[in-house]
Amino acid sequence: MELFLEKKESVNSPFSISACMREGSMTVKLTIIGAGPGGYVAAIRAAQKGAQVTVVEGAEVGGTCLNWGCIPTKTLIASAEALERTRRAGEYGVEVSGTIGFNLSRILERKDKIVSTQIKGIRGLLKSRGVTLMEGRGSLVSNAVVRVEKKDGSIIDVRSDKIIIATGSRPAKLAGFPFDGERVMTSDDAVQLKRIPKSILIVGAGVIGSEFAFIYRAFGAEVTLAELMPHALSTEDEELSGIIEREFKKAKIKLITNVKVVSVTKGPDNMMTALLSDGREVRTEAILVSIGRSMNSEDIGLEAIGVNKGSRGEITVNGRMETNVAGIYAIGDVTGNAMLAHVASHQGLVAAENALGNDAVMDYAVVPAGIFTMPEIGSVGMREQQVREKGIAYRVGRFPFRGLGKAHAMGEITGLAKIIADADTDKILGVHLCGAHAADLIHEGALAMQMGATSEQLGQMIHAHPTLAEAVMEAAEDVHGMAIHTIKPGNLPAAGPGSEGLDAKPGGD
Amino acid sequence: MNPDDIKYHRDHSWVRIEGKRATIGISDFAQEQLGDIVYVDLPEVDTEVDADSELSEIESTKATSPVVSPITGTVVEVNEDLADSPEIINEDPYGNGWLVVVEMSDPTEVGDLMNKSEYEKFLKEEEEK
Repeated sequence: MELFLEKKESVNSPFSISACMREGSMTVKLTIIGAGPGGYVAAIRAAQKGAQVTVVEGAEVGGTCLNWGCIPTKTLIASAEALERTRRAGEYGVEVSGTIGFNLSRILERKDKIVSTQIKGIRGLLKSRGVTLMEGRGSLVSNAVVRVEKKDGSIIDVRSDKIIIATGSRPAKLAGFPFDGERVMTSDDAVQLKRIPKSILIVGAGVIGSEFAFIYRAFGAEVTLAELMPHALSTEDEELSGIIEREFKKAKIKLITNVKVVSVTKGPDNMMTALLSDGREVRTEAILVSIGRSMNSEDIGLEAIGVNKGSRGEITVNGRMETNVAGIYAIGDVTGNAMLAHVASHQGLVAAENALGNDAVMDYAVVPAGIFTMPEIGSVGMREQQVREKGIAYRVGRFPFRGLGKAHAMGEITGLAKIIADADTDKILGVHLCGAHAADLIHEGALAMQMGATSEQLGQMIHAHPTLAEAVMEAAEDVHGMAIHTIKPGNLPAAGPGSEGLDAKPGGD
Repeated sequence: MNPDDIKYHRDHSWVRIEGKRATIGISDFAQEQLGDIVYVDLPEVDTEVDADSELSEIESTKATSPVVSPITGTVVEVNEDLADSPEIINEDPYGNGWLVVVEMSDPTEVGDLMNKSEYEKFLKEEEEK
């Protein structure tokens, strides 16, 4: 009965408590705004636990991840990699006759087909759980009513015991840029890849910018990256940023750091000139702005109800995904936490549990992530620069992928496995991988951290040979200078900081 | 095979002086230790380099290794051939495998470097360690 006592009825609500009692159930009516990886996962979990769930989606199920982000970019990367592999066929003793090229519309057809299969899959999952999917724009009327504006203009108010806001985010735009979706684009436009420009300026060398840099380069564009921070991928471990920066150089992708793009002017000859804050100018045919994402927290009724937002527009939530208004939860990108689909999904599980009266708290201690640059990055835990800033005494173990027979056999020798361990307890603080399949391989590191393993324990586990995973084992052993497959330091010319051995750095350096 | 007319740095780079211009490369010992070189990360023209600090990074199938500059100055020329054919360094480390030309800011630094016989003695001692 406590569910009814908690519920605050707004004066405009046409429904009364007695209506609920007539339904005579403890079934929680949960309404979720947004069917992205946060929303649809929350919906399924809540339905699994017996709630009556309605999901409101204004665009398409799967949200940004499926329609504009994770999945589409991965299909483009797969095509780019197939192209690269074919170009390198001779290395493997494979002969290809004729010209090696690509068909952009076929690439997009493949992407669309894959995405639509996934969409059907998600719709099927929701249907099989008895989740009601309402297509329309959702907003809050009160903490008990979600308004759905359908495409035909009709409006339906959905009475809700609990509400989860999962409205996500959108690409952030720079003011004053002549966005036209074709020559001045955001990532939403770039995944549709209607044409490959001769040259492209990518503003922002974060995850999205860096991935697109490799994609466009593989398809033949001249790529320039302009980054505000001193390094590309500055949220990653500094050593991994360094490796990717070198890979940019190898691929002849030009990286300009410590700059803002001040203005863009369109020229007569189909070209544009971007003025950088250091006075340089970049002439380019196309511009992709990938500077981050803005939260979709406007025009959904939050202000009238008094749901608190932070300075970036993010809906503020506690560890239980509760907003400051009883009965309203928020999850995913709109909460401005790590903008990752899997974080949104986990937040969705937590919110669903709490909405049903159970007790769950979100734990951000172990959040692995992959970046699909060429080569990939997989990372979990603290970056070395973060450990240093916190003044924690630590040791580092490293192993280059080129030390692995498997990497050589595959013809993918670029990469590094790096493990950071607490110098006192030897507990693993962070694992950072760059190289083939890094985004998959990282999960060993994530599990080790989840279980509180030490680097010694990780190094002691038998790893199958020949696999790329051996790099993780050797890096773990290297924390204590005991990696088998590394040359003893001092025997290579100027064996620098990239070499093996202890790196105990007491805090305060 | 180590030439007489150049000076050597203990981190296995070498320098050939012509007036103010210093051509820099890595020694035969270094290229042999590295194995097949697959990529050289060279600085851009006008980059300032310091003696004893990293000038370049060389990737081989075995390892990635920094190249230490023997002298201080400004890069005035970069060996563009190495972009497509990094293996030239393995084939001809003292000739066509040169990395950069630097305009020296302090020609007296050369005095700190080793000549051929000193370098060869140094290599012998390193081996015995």
